[in-house]
Amino acid sequence: MAEPGPGRTLLVALAVCGVCSLVVTGSVVLLRPFQVENQQRERERRVRALVDGLPGVSDLVEAAGEARIELRVVELATGAYATSRDASALLEKSDGAEGEVPLPPERDPAGIGYVPTHVVVYELRRGDRVDTAILPIHGQGYLSMMRGYLAVAGDGETVRGIAFTEHHETPGLGSEVESPEWQARWQGRRLYGSDGEVRIRVVKTLPAAGSPDAPYVVQGISGATLTSAGVSELVRFWVGPDGFGPYLERLRAAAGSEGEGDPS
Amino acid sequence: MSEPTLRTLTRPLVDENPITLQILGICSALAITRRLDTALLMGLSVIFVLTLSNASISLLRRQVPRSIRLIVQITVIASLVTVVDQLLQAFAWELSRQLSIFVGLIITNCVVLGRGESFALSHGVRASALDGLGNGLGYAGVLALVGGVRELLGSGSLLGVTILDRVDAGGWYQPAALLLLPPSAFFLLGFLVWGVRALRPEQVEAPEPRPEAAQTAVAGGR
Amino acid sequence: MSSLLDLFVRAAFVENLALSFFLGMCMFLAVSRHVSTALGFGVAVMVVQTLTVPLNQLIYTHLLRPGAWSWAGLPELDLSFLALITSIGVIAAFVQILEMFFDRHLPALARALGIYLPLITVNCAILGGSLFMIERDYDFVESVVYGAGSGFGWVLAICLLAGVRTKLEYADPPEGLRGLGLTFVVVGLISLGFMGFAGIELR
Repeated sequence: MAEPGPGRTLLVALAVCGVCSLVVTGSVVLLRPFQVENQQRERERRVRALVDGLPGVSDLVEAAGEARIELRVVELATGAYATSRDASALLEKSDGAEGEVPLPPERDPAGIGYVPTHVVVYELRRGDRVDTAILPIHGQGYLSMMRGYLAVAGDGETVRGIAFTEHHETPGLGSEVESPEWQARWQGRRLYGSDGEVRIRVVKTLPAAGSPDAPYVVQGISGATLTSAGVSELVRFWVGPDGFGPYLERLRAAAGSEGEGDPS
Repeated sequence: MSEPTLRTLTRPLVDENPITLQILGICSALAITRRLDTALLMGLSVIFVLTLSNASISLLRRQVPRSIRLIVQITVIASLVTVVDQLLQAFAWELSRQLSIFVGLIITNCVVLGRGESFALSHGVRASALDGLGNGLGYAGVLALVGGVRELLGSGSLLGVTILDRVDAGGWYQPAALLLLPPSAFFLLGFLVWGVRALRPEQVEAPEPRPEAAQTAVAGGR
Repeated sequence: MSSLLDLFVRAAFVENLALSFFLGMCMFLAVSRHVSTALGFGVAVMVVQTLTVPLNQLIYTHLLRPGAWSWAGLPELDLSFLALITSIGVIAAFVQILEMFFDRHLPALARALGIYLPLITVNCAILGGSLFMIERDYDFVESVVYGAGSGFGWVLAICLLAGVRTKLEYADPPEGLRGLGLTFVVVGLISLGFMGFAGIELR
């Protein structure tokens, strides 16, 4: 076949581009609603899975319906509720966080650069008391920024569970943070020592049974040392003074005074 | 060109399996074979893309000038892969996240481009589509095999269903953790090629010609 | 600065595109068995990688990602689905330009690379680098470092493999394993070796 001229070449090129564009764009537009719905359902399912993993709580949620999981906006610095702000609007607009306070490197072990001033938290309430607080956490893993939730009991110091909704860690190794077996290791761990210091951390090997460290350590993922270390740092940051520390302290105080009232 | 079409379909399964004989497309094959479900989904995606791209390229083969042939092929393949990626995100969200960038890499998968160049450009649409389907099935077969072995022996399960009770779940099976790591896929492929060539000795590679000195040294040492 | 160095080392060793993700192996395994060819091809790949990853990053950030068109009053526009097509398009165009540049200004190099230069377009490692960059959300500087690091790691791996294959020519494996099969096993071993780099941190 004789080599066609530039005009013909251009025509063919444009035609191919045109058809491909139509096919690609058409499929994207048609499929977008399914994808958005999937992402939405995925997010809801994860928070649900987190709650469901907690003994007794899932029944309560079933019985009482969605209304019992309440959204609150917490001011991180004081740990108090920011009643003037609307939690759902904040979730819609900026993914549940407001404000940007830069963190100097020595106070940023999780590598997140800055911390918000206000964050939306999910509270599971029994009557007037906070039974479980579900806190959004994020930080640098090994290969990626990891995002997830930490569920803390109403006593402000016992872990009920942990889940990661977003990460790009090594498939098969770091990605095991998503496995229920690993997440179960967090249940019942204590965050703080008796002096209020952050004592929770992820370790490679568990201490001997009966060791004073035992309630505060979680065994990491074998073969994924760096991902585990990343998780350790980010959890410690978020339950520390620059994260939800003040909020959890209020919960502890409220629980201490015979479980009465809100930490407002 | 009339061709016994059943042969076109079955030939790439063992005799001319794209991976073991033609050494094509292993890139996408290995990283996602830790589990059978991701391996199967990748296999399906490749079948979809390969069949349609072969058909499209064959359809266009008399229209596209030689100067832009390669880029037109790449454009068609890239569009098809984008469509597959969107489909996976819409209907298999969880698994598509596991597959990560590897669906996108089907664009540069040597099998897809290779069959486009070597078959679709010189055969009719039906034959090309069948060739694409056959090669896709051969490719998916290898992926499924490797994925199945890795998941079964590395995690004790198949498609998430526990077959061998693992020690850390109270059972007896100590999983072979090496199989969960990337290098194992390469070992498995090596042994698979060995197996295929034992069955089909005509596929064995001829030894490289050796210099005289080395040959006499070997002979002398006997 | 140290985090950039860390990124480079990680991209080259721990997350070696060839040995940890098996990208870019097809072409090489099928074609080359000598260190000199491996080096030539590898350097060309490294150059293309170092330049295309940042280029794709710019396009993604300013044209494709959700919110990229806010300046034009279209903050909702999300063209990220075009990332696959634009990435490969950029790579193909870039390689074409490189080829023309070599033909005119460095003809000896163009001749030495021969058929390999256009083949770089469809090298999984090049596209893979750009796709990882998008997935991990690197900024411009990180993209340059990641491109250079991952390219360097690929060259290293490919030369190592060529060297081993040259030695293996004198080996006497079982017939069925000869050539391709043995190569697969050897690459698996090298990959296992590279896994030993995991955990190296530069301070």
